[in-house]
Amino acid sequence: MSCVACAVCVACAVCVACAVCVACAVCDVDGRYISEHVRIADLFRTVVADMAAVLRGLQAVRVLRGFCRGELVGVSVHKYRSAHRGVHSCGLLYSENSTSVSSSVHQHPQAQAPEQDPSSMTSEQVGPQPNTSYANQNGEQSEDYETEDQLQARILNAALEFVLQHGWSAEAIAAGAETLGLSSASSEMFPNGAGDLVLHFVVKCNNQLVQILAEQHKRVQLGEAEPKKTAEFLREAVETRLRMLVPYIDTWPQAMSILLLPHNIPESLKHLSTLVDDIWYYAGDRSTDMNWYTRRATLTGLYNTTELVMLQDTSVDFQDTWAFLDNRIRDIVNMANTAKQVQSTGEAVVQGLVGAAVTLKNLTGINQKR
Amino acid sequence: MCRCLAKMAASCKTCVRTALLDAFAFTRGALSSRVAVRTYASDSRDGEGMAHFGFQTVPEGEKAEKVYKVFESVAQKYDIMNDAMSLGVHRLWKDALLRIMNPLPGCRLLDVAGGTGDISFRFLEYVRTQQERLRRRAMRMHQTPSWQEIAASYTSEQATVLGGSRAVVCDINKEMLKVGRQRAKDLGCGTELSWVVGDAEELPFEDDQFDIYSIAFGIRNVTRIDKALQEAHRVLKPGGRFLCLEFSHVSNPVLSRIYDAYSFQLIPVMGEVIAGDWNSYQYLVESIRRFPDQETFSHMMEDAGFFSVRFTNLTAGVVAVHSGFKL
Repeated sequence: MSCVACAVCVACAVCVACAVCVACAVCDVDGRYISEHVRIADLFRTVVADMAAVLRGLQAVRVLRGFCRGELVGVSVHKYRSAHRGVHSCGLLYSENSTSVSSSVHQHPQAQAPEQDPSSMTSEQVGPQPNTSYANQNGEQSEDYETEDQLQARILNAALEFVLQHGWSAEAIAAGAETLGLSSASSEMFPNGAGDLVLHFVVKCNNQLVQILAEQHKRVQLGEAEPKKTAEFLREAVETRLRMLVPYIDTWPQAMSILLLPHNIPESLKHLSTLVDDIWYYAGDRSTDMNWYTRRATLTGLYNTTELVMLQDTSVDFQDTWAFLDNRIRDIVNMANTAKQVQSTGEAVVQGLVGAAVTLKNLTGINQKR
Repeated sequence: MCRCLAKMAASCKTCVRTALLDAFAFTRGALSSRVAVRTYASDSRDGEGMAHFGFQTVPEGEKAEKVYKVFESVAQKYDIMNDAMSLGVHRLWKDALLRIMNPLPGCRLLDVAGGTGDISFRFLEYVRTQQERLRRRAMRMHQTPSWQEIAASYTSEQATVLGGSRAVVCDINKEMLKVGRQRAKDLGCGTELSWVVGDAEELPFEDDQFDIYSIAFGIRNVTRIDKALQEAHRVLKPGGRFLCLEFSHVSNPVLSRIYDAYSFQLIPVMGEVIAGDWNSYQYLVESIRRFPDQETFSHMMEDAGFFSVRFTNLTAGVVAVHSGFKL
């Protein structure tokens, strides 16, 4: 049964079943269903029931096996998405390093996270007037002009206000465009429609999180704050990130389904992997061996499962979700310790066996050199 | 009867003569048109004050008049000829244009060179279905609206069948508009559709009026395409969209040969048989060859100030939809 769960996990790193094999997602450690009244639980009920029974007994070994396969999928290629969607530069000046929100530039800066602040664009005008002033001869960004990407980012930010009303859809984008004074026809600038809106929101939240983590990191380096333990740090990072979903929690299932559409999966996987990578970086992970993969795989599973639990959580301030998160982190820590123990036990056992074999050879006289 | 025969004989003679000339000129013309397009990329002028009228070159002032006469004579049989020449596929092209346009209720459309109103009728139908869909979704989410909301919905523009959308058909040719108005009357369209006589190079509208400007199979007849693009930019609202459906360049060589053969051998013949007008349809196919190809037209649009310019080929490049935004 565990093989089935792991096999499902191979299919898609974002797939819940993958997370289920890492840590029991829908069912708490004690075996009670948190989410009896949620349809998602039904999907995994059979798998979960079997696994809960086996979980405690075979925890360490099964997880190790799951990691081995999960790691193959958990790593995704960091691709740069072109920030310029086929824009010809006629009359428009734009910098090569576009700071638009829609491009995901993966950096581990020393000083600060990638600056994503489209609201800082100063001007309302987006004029294509030819600019011959001296300051723009390097092709640098002038204050009066904004690139198409920046305008698109502004439209999508405005559209987020209307998500509760219209859902994650092209109508929300059109409503957002109208608040900026543009015609609703400009929502067709986004050929992917709802997908663009959801991905923009995901990137925005990720960047916010990275900013927060970077600030904390700076404070720790300046000695103003105590460095946190890894488990504590992970818990807080995941909680902070998930709290950003709270205003949109009613429509978030729709957003998740949009992210799982085939043409959106590469993008959403990429954003998820950069998020997880950033969190581990600020947690202090500088590993260069298999640990790099295993850590990111666990955190991916943790994040996805907690997100799912949050979708159907009706407790005050999502207390159940944070409790679930605490339990899962404790499980991970236990598993890590158990894994170490198993490894050292295994080594000891192997040494013992080798010794026994040598003794046997000596006794029977095979080892003698004539 | 005799007059008919005589007319047929005369037209046959001219047919044969023009057919011979065209067969000779076809290869020359086809090559030169491509060369002409490459070297004089941005407009349809060939020197000072001269314009292309099919494969002929005429003074600019004359082109508009000649085009007017062409469409005046084909107006009555325009729709039938469209069906015959494209084997009905033009309907699919226009449906594709609407799908790319994806208008929301509340949009105002300016359908330039709209002639018989094909695009506008489709636009109104599309908006009607969209409005119904949105209303149904609102109903589903909002199971118990308060009496205040119900009262508000009676008065607001949003509640109308089209959500406030309107379409304006603008054409330089009164005959085409007459045919269109007759069709509208038959379909029972009301105040949401207006018919305006106007020149694409000098539109009789104020600035910033329309959400969507569409020109279907019309821009190649315009004398100065760049002026038409500038006018389009002027009348569009900020954020408005420019859409152009037009015959374009087929890059696949095999298809291109078949397409050329079909255009030059069959279409004028069909024009003569069905509409009694060989020359107009000769002009049609020649003007298609004279029109800049997809990339060139995209550059022209960018020169006029449109952003996010994209094009989609339909039917392997026989027709292309160009889209740009005024930002």
